[in-house]
Amino acid sequence: MAASIPCQPAEGDSPTVRDEWGLYIHLPWCVRKCPYCDFNSHRAPEHIPEMRYVTALCHEMEQASPRFRNRQLVSIFLGGGTPSLFSPEAIERILKQARVSFPMTTDAEITLEANPGTAEAERFKGYRSVGVTRLSLGVQSFDDERLRALGRIHTAEQARAAYRMGRDAKFLALNIDLMYGLPGQTLAGAQRDLAEALDFAPEHLSYYQLTLEAGTPFFHNPPTRPDDTVLARIEMDASARFAATGYERYEVSAYSKGIWNTCRHNLGYWRYGDYLGIGAGAHSKLRNSNGIWRQVRTRFPAGYLAAIEANQTGYEEWRLEHDEIRFEFFLNTLRLREGFSPNLFQQQTGENLATVAETLQELADLGLLEVSEHNIRTTQRGYAILDDVVAFFLPTQATGMIWPQACPA
Amino acid sequence: METIRNFCILAHVDHGKSTLADRIIELCGGLPKRSMMDQVLDSMDLERERGITIKAQSVALDYRADNQHVYRFNLIDTPGHVDFSYEVSRSLAACEGALLVVDAVQGVEAQSVANCYQAIEQGLEIIPVINKIDLPSAEPDRVIAEIEDIIGIEAHHALLVSAKTGAGVHDLLEAIVGRIPQPSGHPEQSLRALIIDSWFDNYVGVVSLLRIKDGRLPSRSKVQIFSTKRTYLADHVGIFRPLKMDDRDSLECGEVGYLIAAIKEVEGAPVGDTVTQADRTVTVPLSGFEPVRPRVFAGLFPVESDDYQSFREALAKLRLNDAALSFEPETSVALGFGFRCGFLGLLHMEIVQERLEREYHLELITTAPTVNYETLLKNGAVRLVNNPTELPPLHEIEEIREPIIQAKILTPPEYLGGIMALCQEKRGRQVLMHYYARQVALEYELPLSEVVLDFFDRLKSASRGYASFDYRFLCFREAPLVRMDFLVNGDLVDAFATIVHRDVAYTRGRDLVDRLQKLIPRQMFEVALQAAIGNQVIARATVKALRKNVIAKCYGGDVSRKRKLLEKQKEGKKRMKRLGKVDIPQEAFLAVLQRSPGE
Repeated sequence: MAASIPCQPAEGDSPTVRDEWGLYIHLPWCVRKCPYCDFNSHRAPEHIPEMRYVTALCHEMEQASPRFRNRQLVSIFLGGGTPSLFSPEAIERILKQARVSFPMTTDAEITLEANPGTAEAERFKGYRSVGVTRLSLGVQSFDDERLRALGRIHTAEQARAAYRMGRDAKFLALNIDLMYGLPGQTLAGAQRDLAEALDFAPEHLSYYQLTLEAGTPFFHNPPTRPDDTVLARIEMDASARFAATGYERYEVSAYSKGIWNTCRHNLGYWRYGDYLGIGAGAHSKLRNSNGIWRQVRTRFPAGYLAAIEANQTGYEEWRLEHDEIRFEFFLNTLRLREGFSPNLFQQQTGENLATVAETLQELADLGLLEVSEHNIRTTQRGYAILDDVVAFFLPTQATGMIWPQACPA
Repeated sequence: METIRNFCILAHVDHGKSTLADRIIELCGGLPKRSMMDQVLDSMDLERERGITIKAQSVALDYRADNQHVYRFNLIDTPGHVDFSYEVSRSLAACEGALLVVDAVQGVEAQSVANCYQAIEQGLEIIPVINKIDLPSAEPDRVIAEIEDIIGIEAHHALLVSAKTGAGVHDLLEAIVGRIPQPSGHPEQSLRALIIDSWFDNYVGVVSLLRIKDGRLPSRSKVQIFSTKRTYLADHVGIFRPLKMDDRDSLECGEVGYLIAAIKEVEGAPVGDTVTQADRTVTVPLSGFEPVRPRVFAGLFPVESDDYQSFREALAKLRLNDAALSFEPETSVALGFGFRCGFLGLLHMEIVQERLEREYHLELITTAPTVNYETLLKNGAVRLVNNPTELPPLHEIEEIREPIIQAKILTPPEYLGGIMALCQEKRGRQVLMHYYARQVALEYELPLSEVVLDFFDRLKSASRGYASFDYRFLCFREAPLVRMDFLVNGDLVDAFATIVHRDVAYTRGRDLVDRLQKLIPRQMFEVALQAAIGNQVIARATVKALRKNVIAKCYGGDVSRKRKLLEKQKEGKKRMKRLGKVDIPQEAFLAVLQRSPGE
């Protein structure tokens, strides 16, 4: 019998989480687009308009500055695309502007995503020197044949070299992105990949399955991948390896070496905290006294640049409905091993947990959620079928057109 | 009366009845050679397509014979399919003679035999007609021998015709004049007319087809329906001419024609009833027909639940012209609101369904046909059960009786083995087997429930389509029948309950749970599927719990993609019915409930 659903926040909880926020900066170009990728990335022209783009980002930060006057920026994430196509000088300008525009903690986590190729690796020391604290390497596999199948431009040997250069550059934390369920991958192959990644002992590992997303070449022409039985074996085996090497699965696809190496920026998303996303196609989630607002910026780099340079906002903004907020809250927090407290629910959604007590109880009865007075979290079984768990909270009205509204900031 | 000839055409489906009728009408000057419709008698599109005539109709023709006298031919149409044999008997009651049309290539089929016996029983003069003699493979001599052999009537004077080319049709018309007796009856007596058929017309109300047995029926006279004692004014009387109605001052003794008397419902002019004059007292009605009873049942459900009202109205309208169609509301967990309908047989069911879809634009799901059972309760009461869920609790039942039919099969001898094996499998009891020159006649008593399952298809494939089949209801007979229940995670699913023979319960139960196991998607927990008789589980299968979802990377700031993905998955689930906590897709229900195509 599951515990009853707690509804009242405990006394004396300070709503500090609301004051912290993260900044996401999208750098949209790649040398070439991988056939599985459905992110907002674009094939780079011979010379990417680096300084123009950085200027636009800086302009955005200046514009957004008043909104965050009383808040603490705790993390910056430079994602893409391939941010390592940008020079350390460009990154420096961006970070400098961020420090000027926003109050920022001294120990802010600043992550940069990098392609583990030779050219990029030479810039790692530069990134470190301009303030990047954390380097995320899109390794994906240590098997050249898999990398080719994925359309990656780097080799396994380059990835190993890049990792070592990342270490030499003295980043505070390194992350390796690793995928499984790759074209032609065997159980043994996946095991080798993970073993090699763990041998490097990175502070953080993102480990997730290759998915076929609509609109990608892989979706239209699916490569042969390991079947469900093999995938289940890979996951089972991986979970044992992570545990044996001291990695904590603190989120459904994220592992940290000890609890102090979690990714602060991503934790912000998962705890349903606020973030501002700038750059082409970036998404934001921001809270004010009028509710929770989302922003999406113009997707194509050219359009984005044109909008910003014309002194337009370059984004659409709309307020979330209650059921959407609820859904987004669960979509994120149930990914976390730590789950959430009734207080966090109340703080972030402005609603009492009693609103969803019935659904929580149902999921608890199914053995998918663990419900106690101060904490609700996904069970191991719930983790395995997280999509089905989260689907319980889908808004009744399916997502359709986005209605832009003016944000009374 | 001496110049009236009332007759019908008995023929197996496809043996050329409609073409022959056309040719007769044409030779009688009823219509120009290429009339608007090739086959005049079949007025509904559907009928023409199927080559079957559903509703009895008649046409009055004038034939100038070689002796220069003009004869009134009343050609009464008969349906050719076994489901409608009761309508055949109605048609026969209006006639003194019948043309037995047999295909010169295909020979005698079970249908012809059955209908011909009915005609002989009613004392009709039978004129054997061998049709399609123009075909190169025609073997008229063989077919004549077969008629004598199998049906047992004289056939050496059979007429050889080709309805297609018109060859021999003139001789046939002369034979109708010469061999079919004139109607009997007493013109001077008070009116007694037999209602052959009644149907509802949107403009004039009920139209009845009558055969005047005694007396005469003048227009504008007051008439009485014998059983209801209600009187009506005969607004119109007349005869059906090809493609039109011909109002008359009166219908005379021996004639066949229509009566329109502002009757609002077909129940007001029941088929088989007697029409009399309202001012004269007739004490003895004509002998009517046995009322028809539905024998095959199925649930019909509108695909769109919004269509329920229009569906109800459509059924009510069809019922106006189809006394054999019965229906009562039914709700199903899986299929929603619908009706449990009773039919004469499978073809009747198919026709009703098609008319509903075509004429009323309804989209319907039809459940697999079942039969009704007679239950004898411990307290001595007898109850008819149309739906397995209505079956009383086991401990109250003394015995369950199932409908048994008498089936006649004619087949070339080479398929005998396969057919006998099939009848055996279907729990048939052989009553008779007789070898004729080219065919073997089999008679079986078969449970109707086995026949509605897939018997026709199986018979067709067992005989490569050469065997012919006819049946009639015989009786309800006790059998070791049980109600098989179906449970999903311990919850009874009414929609899946069936009544089965104890000997096949295990196999059917196994088959059912296995099929469902494949159709029910994995859920978040294990799902137990059970078939049970009473408290005893006879088959079991498990749908394993969903193993895992894809572990995807966090989408960072963009939750919209994930949301769309989950919404898409949920959309798939929306089409499922939730039983307890289990989502069951409609296909799973349909696999169990719906008739498979081609049945």
